[in-house]
Amino acid sequence: MRRAQAFVAGTVLAVFALVGGAAGASAAPAASHAPSAVSGKTYVIGTDTTFAPFEFRDGSGELIGIDMDLIRAIAKNQGFSVEIRSLGFDAALQALQSNQVDGVIAGMSITDKRKQIFDFSDPYFDSGVQMAVAKSNNDIKGYADLKGKTVAVKRGSEGETFANSIKDKYSFTVKPLDQSATMYDDVKAGNSVAVFDDYPVLAYGISQNNGLKAVTAKERGSSYGFAVNKGKNPELLAAFNKGLAELKANGQYQQVLDKYLKDPSKAANQSFIDLLVASFPALLKGLGLTLLATLLSLIIALVLGVVFGFFKVSHLVVLRGIATTYVSIFRGTPLLVQAFFFYFGLPQLTGIPINVLTAGVLTLSLNAGAYMTEIVRGGIQSVDPGQLEASRSLGLGYVTSMRRVIVPQAVKIMTPSFINQFVITLKDTSLLAVIGFAELTYQGQQIYASNFRTGETLLIVAALYFIVITLLTQLSNVLDRRFNK
Amino acid sequence: MSKVQVTGLRKSFGSNEVLKGLDVSVAEGEVVCVIGPSGSGKSTFLRCLNKLEDISAGKVVVDGFDLTDPKVDLNAVRQHIGMVFQHFNLFPHMSVIQNIMLAPVELKKGTKEQARAKAMELLARVGLTEKADARPASLSGGQKQRVAIARALAMNPDIMLFDEATSALDPEMVGEVLQVIRDLAREGMTMVVVTHEMGFAREVADRVIFMADGLIVEEAAPEALFGNPQQPRTQDFLSKVL
Repeated sequence: MRRAQAFVAGTVLAVFALVGGAAGASAAPAASHAPSAVSGKTYVIGTDTTFAPFEFRDGSGELIGIDMDLIRAIAKNQGFSVEIRSLGFDAALQALQSNQVDGVIAGMSITDKRKQIFDFSDPYFDSGVQMAVAKSNNDIKGYADLKGKTVAVKRGSEGETFANSIKDKYSFTVKPLDQSATMYDDVKAGNSVAVFDDYPVLAYGISQNNGLKAVTAKERGSSYGFAVNKGKNPELLAAFNKGLAELKANGQYQQVLDKYLKDPSKAANQSFIDLLVASFPALLKGLGLTLLATLLSLIIALVLGVVFGFFKVSHLVVLRGIATTYVSIFRGTPLLVQAFFFYFGLPQLTGIPINVLTAGVLTLSLNAGAYMTEIVRGGIQSVDPGQLEASRSLGLGYVTSMRRVIVPQAVKIMTPSFINQFVITLKDTSLLAVIGFAELTYQGQQIYASNFRTGETLLIVAALYFIVITLLTQLSNVLDRRFNK
Repeated sequence: MSKVQVTGLRKSFGSNEVLKGLDVSVAEGEVVCVIGPSGSGKSTFLRCLNKLEDISAGKVVVDGFDLTDPKVDLNAVRQHIGMVFQHFNLFPHMSVIQNIMLAPVELKKGTKEQARAKAMELLARVGLTEKADARPASLSGGQKQRVAIARALAMNPDIMLFDEATSALDPEMVGEVLQVIRDLAREGMTMVVVTHEMGFAREVADRVIFMADGLIVEEAAPEALFGNPQQPRTQDFLSKVL
């Protein structure tokens, strides 16, 4: 698990911190306070985006989880307020180092390396690796039963390290995968017989009825702590420790853990309709962003397409060269690579941070613009050259001829391709999930990352895309028939 | 004074020279028909007269404008030269009357009402008043070409160029288009007509030019050229088409 890994301060992370910092800078503290000074204060707390069961969003988009419930309960107990900033794990640590947040609670392992730059609270959670198998599997009861089998682990996690340390002794094969949800699906599909994962993640998955059961005791692992920047906010740290002790004493602490790690009944009885109802608000929000990104991208792409399309049919070799270069670059590289470049690469080159919507729209519009350029060029060139000759022979200039004679005919030819590009761009927005743009696919991923109902959630997501695209295509066709008689 | 004065006109497409030095003069009110086998360069010659083709060498002066002068306002020159194409090239997204009104309205020759009145007058002249609001697609070939002629006349040109105006027509429609051109000739319009209609050339032309391989082989009054061709190439061509 990345929480156990050494904290690497790369340039990308610095960029993240800048982005996060822009959001949290206004509440940055000036100096340390006396221990008694916590009451009535508001502290900005950084956390991860999704790390169920410690922090994740419920169906309505509210941040919940063990970390969230604990920090809020402690704040209440100690009389201070918290403002949560969901920045992402690495960004939260960067923000803490640059004093843009006062503290970080993000399922973070307490390591010696991190202790050099942060001050940690008392451990509030003991993690460790645990093994689980499919609920119906009664053959695998311990490591010894794994002989000749395959087990799934999360790439780069403590589970992987542990599995590798015992695989020779018990003669099994280790299969690293990227996400918890994928690993669980792999076991349920029978591709792997067992999974090694962090105890809390696994316990939460089981509580959400992910179809697995734990079969071994938890291996001794790392402990999670709340962190403040080295030497800063000692009163906040003290208040956290004091509050934690009181919650442990009054049973509230155990209640929080039980809420997320036990109680499989809650999710077990959820029907498809319940899932639909619970996930709909978040998915609709995602759909809204999908449509927003599509609309903005298409408008910009249309402008780019018209400008570069005319460049392409120009007599000037320089303009044709510019347009051809533009099209070659954006048609000749994958959209995903472009998205990564604009979101991670560009800020490093320019030093200017870029928000995810801007990066996403930039990517999609430049990409779609390249295809639009070809559509415009093709449309103009498919108009009979005799049309331009006839217009010019009447004494009309090039621009007038284009405007009155060529373009009206070209638009008619181009319309079906435009509608096609519109549908493609709408679907391409789903790729922006990889840079964390909270559109429809991303919202779907967030939902199944916390409830492990991958298939059903994706079915709802796909249906939403299908419905919207079908409706918009119909609308476009009606408009096409109306205006391009 | 000659309306068209061509001297030493050469035109190449890449390394292929299609006009190899032409000298032609057309007087005001004169009707010149250009005949010759396919590939002889007669259409290219015509297209050089309003600079739809770039001129490789030589000089072309039309209506007092030197087309080979880079500073010449080509759009202004072209307003004085009407052109009719083999394939009509009507604007399919506009009605018949919009086709005719486009240039006068865009180039601000009078008001829109004047342009419309003029267009209706021209349509009456080519016998298509009732088709004013029709789309080109609903017209026959002969009707399309008559609209195209009306469109070319809308700017009151001094010279009309016809590029095989009847070649794309069904035989029964050739007559109606030739009649319109014949009427124009009778009214004293200066015209250069590239045609395959030998009978028509003989009837309306003041002078006939026979072209072959990018050169003018022979030019003469129609009776002389058709009745007593001097050059073997001309004799050979006429024996095949007449």
